[in-house]
Amino acid sequence: MSASATPPNRTFGGLAHSRSAAGVLILLGFYIVLLVAFSFLTPFFMTLRNVLAISSNVAFIGLMAAAGTPLIIAGGLDLSVAAIAGLTGVLIAVMHAAGVPVWVAVLAAVLLAAAIGLANGALATGLKLNPLIVTLASMSIVSGSALILTGGLTKPLSIAGFNWIGAGRVFSIPVPAILMLLTYVVLAVLLRQTRFGRYVYAVGGSEETSRLIGLPVKPVQISLYVISAVSGAVAGTMLAAMLGAAAPNAASPHLLTVIAAIILGGTSLQGGRGSVWGTLVAVLILGTLNNGLTLLDVSSFWQDVTRGVVLILAVGVDQIRQRLQSR
Amino acid sequence: MSGITKSFGGVTVLDDVTFSVRPGEVVALLGSNGAGKSTLMKILTGVYQRDAGRIAIDGDEVVMATPRQARAHGISFLPQEISIVPEMSVAENICLGAVPMRSTLGVRTVDDQAMRLRAADILGQLGFGHISPRRFAADLTVAERRIVEIARALAADASILVMDEPTASLTEQEAEMIFRIIRRLKEQHTSVVYISHYLKEVFVIADRIEILRDGRNAGSFVPGETTVASVVEAMLGAAAGDLFVAGQAPLARPEAILSADHLGLRNSLRDVSLTVGRGEIVGVFGLVGSGVEVLGRVIFGAEGGRHQGAMRFAGRPYAPSGPAAAKRTGIGFVSAERKKDGIIADLTVRENLVAPFQWRYGRGVFTSWQKETAQSVAWIKALGIRTRGPEQEMRTLSGGNQQKVCVARWLDPSVKMLILEEPTRGVDVGARREIYLQLAALARDGLGILVLSSDVEEVAGLSDRALVIDRGRIVGEFPRGTDPATLMAATTGEMAAPAIGGIAP
Repeated sequence: MSASATPPNRTFGGLAHSRSAAGVLILLGFYIVLLVAFSFLTPFFMTLRNVLAISSNVAFIGLMAAAGTPLIIAGGLDLSVAAIAGLTGVLIAVMHAAGVPVWVAVLAAVLLAAAIGLANGALATGLKLNPLIVTLASMSIVSGSALILTGGLTKPLSIAGFNWIGAGRVFSIPVPAILMLLTYVVLAVLLRQTRFGRYVYAVGGSEETSRLIGLPVKPVQISLYVISAVSGAVAGTMLAAMLGAAAPNAASPHLLTVIAAIILGGTSLQGGRGSVWGTLVAVLILGTLNNGLTLLDVSSFWQDVTRGVVLILAVGVDQIRQRLQSR
Repeated sequence: MSGITKSFGGVTVLDDVTFSVRPGEVVALLGSNGAGKSTLMKILTGVYQRDAGRIAIDGDEVVMATPRQARAHGISFLPQEISIVPEMSVAENICLGAVPMRSTLGVRTVDDQAMRLRAADILGQLGFGHISPRRFAADLTVAERRIVEIARALAADASILVMDEPTASLTEQEAEMIFRIIRRLKEQHTSVVYISHYLKEVFVIADRIEILRDGRNAGSFVPGETTVASVVEAMLGAAAGDLFVAGQAPLARPEAILSADHLGLRNSLRDVSLTVGRGEIVGVFGLVGSGVEVLGRVIFGAEGGRHQGAMRFAGRPYAPSGPAAAKRTGIGFVSAERKKDGIIADLTVRENLVAPFQWRYGRGVFTSWQKETAQSVAWIKALGIRTRGPEQEMRTLSGGNQQKVCVARWLDPSVKMLILEEPTRGVDVGARREIYLQLAALARDGLGILVLSSDVEEVAGLSDRALVIDRGRIVGEFPRGTDPATLMAATTGEMAAPAIGGIAP
């Protein structure tokens, strides 16, 4: 009630939450090793320009991974998010070409994404269909629609105010990076400091228990699908603004990176465990790895291989850690 | 096994423990949760390695580095959760460890016929020749699955069977089938180590009772020469006294908080009417499959409102659309399946405790760690939950303490009635007694309590009023003080008082 009763924040967005903190710290250690290694290997790596480039390149992936994290914690999964990003860019370009003001187009695309998320959630929770199948199907529908809209072509999208979202800077920090970080802070607070966040962990930990203690299981899950879909729309807007063009499949190749980052960040596919900070560090690791290997002139084909190996290593280490804990 | 010592991270779990079993002997291993029973058995079966001590079979010292080695020495472990493959036939399940093969045109394939014969042979030896090896395991009852599991151990030439709570989810009649098997095993000189919370079963089946307490040997008894009381005393370390609160004077019929009229649910419930009064403990006793496992869920709205009949709660019509609606009305529910739908294992004790009434312990949409902790500490104290603190992970608590958490979280001023399914299943004797005391105290404070249980002694000892349910119908109502045998007799079914009922002290 009174100001004096304001308790000190025990944790900042749950970063110090004991269970996930250990995993995040291990990941952070790995990230630092990676940074040190790359800065020895190539002089271009540790330049301010390169660091900012990394942050702006990973931003749209990081955004989708951020919103996907609570969904997976709650036992869901969204494979359609990257396709939604592609459709969003295309939709904005098509509507803009038809004379719709760009911000109205953005708003319409976000609303459409929310509707897709609502449909995903309703099918997955209401009809109890497997989220993998539901969102695989909607991924196909959404990316197909994007191709139909453009005939498979890339549409130019060059509007000064709009492109600022993807390429602009504030105090020389790229706007996408700022948007991404804001998303992480908001979601971290949502997950660790609010009732809704607690329900996310409860539902993911045991859906049946949550139902039997009268928690709003379905509303929580459905709203997470909506959040994930909307993050796809925002990421798609950001990507189109950054590239100055909208390609129907611009984001699709990055779906795997989004899921990989969430898992690498320590979120359990079984639900109940995870944190957005883990996801953030994982996004940075994967982004840095890509960037560093590119600077070292390693073929992008090898980068895919490296990402797979890192993912298996991370999951393996996590399994070993869990087994040691349960002893 | 002698001088067995084991510690985890500096905590000594077993200290110089000696344990032996002779050929054809049935030894019961007893102890409260945390006494070291399961650790000792995991060492015997190669899951854990001992820090000190020796294990010998027929006088020869042996190494048990892996579960596979233990099986090679003829030691087979049957965990509490039945592990059979539901998609496979009975024969395939039994022969899983050693599948008979044959060679057709140089290609080795599974010899189905040999497998069925072997399975039928073993089932016949156990006295259950009527279970067809062709049936799918998914179609078997829980008791039949347990029998198939025992047969599988024998198919792998086990000479020592370690059974952890083999009768946990069985009715008394079904438990009697397991006892028949154990007697057969004895005749064939197979040894059995029997871990159980059900003391009267132990007195029926065991040749010897070994007690562990705090990781040490705490006594050895022969059932015919001792009493349940002295065994319980050895387990708890002090005179345990009666498990139940001494019978209070029966109250005048209290004002009804819940009344249910002619409840029905598909094939499970028919025409069930009952009332629960303020401050009254109503117990419903029924064997597995009698409807006892769905009645509480119907009242709590967890069966999705597909039932027939009408209910009133606190004087108003009550038709819950789901658990959330029941909770708003003022009903709490403690599930029988603690691990599956009772606790959230990954969350902390605190998070589990405040979960149903989360909004009380925060400001607006935000949670408050201080308020949650204050309430958790209060509940931990009030119910004597043994934990390192509110931040301990729920999964690491013992069954009894998890159960106390499941009860505590409903102690909200808005809750006027509590439904408990199998309130002490898988709970050790000490915690069991504490839970009974707590329930009695809550009823004295005016809470209506409905207990649904397949444990006849529990219903007899705890209830102000006991109902008996059989095949979906209420078949009898009894006042406080009715003895368990009478309740058991009220279930139509078979014998009035099963053999093991007579052994109770």
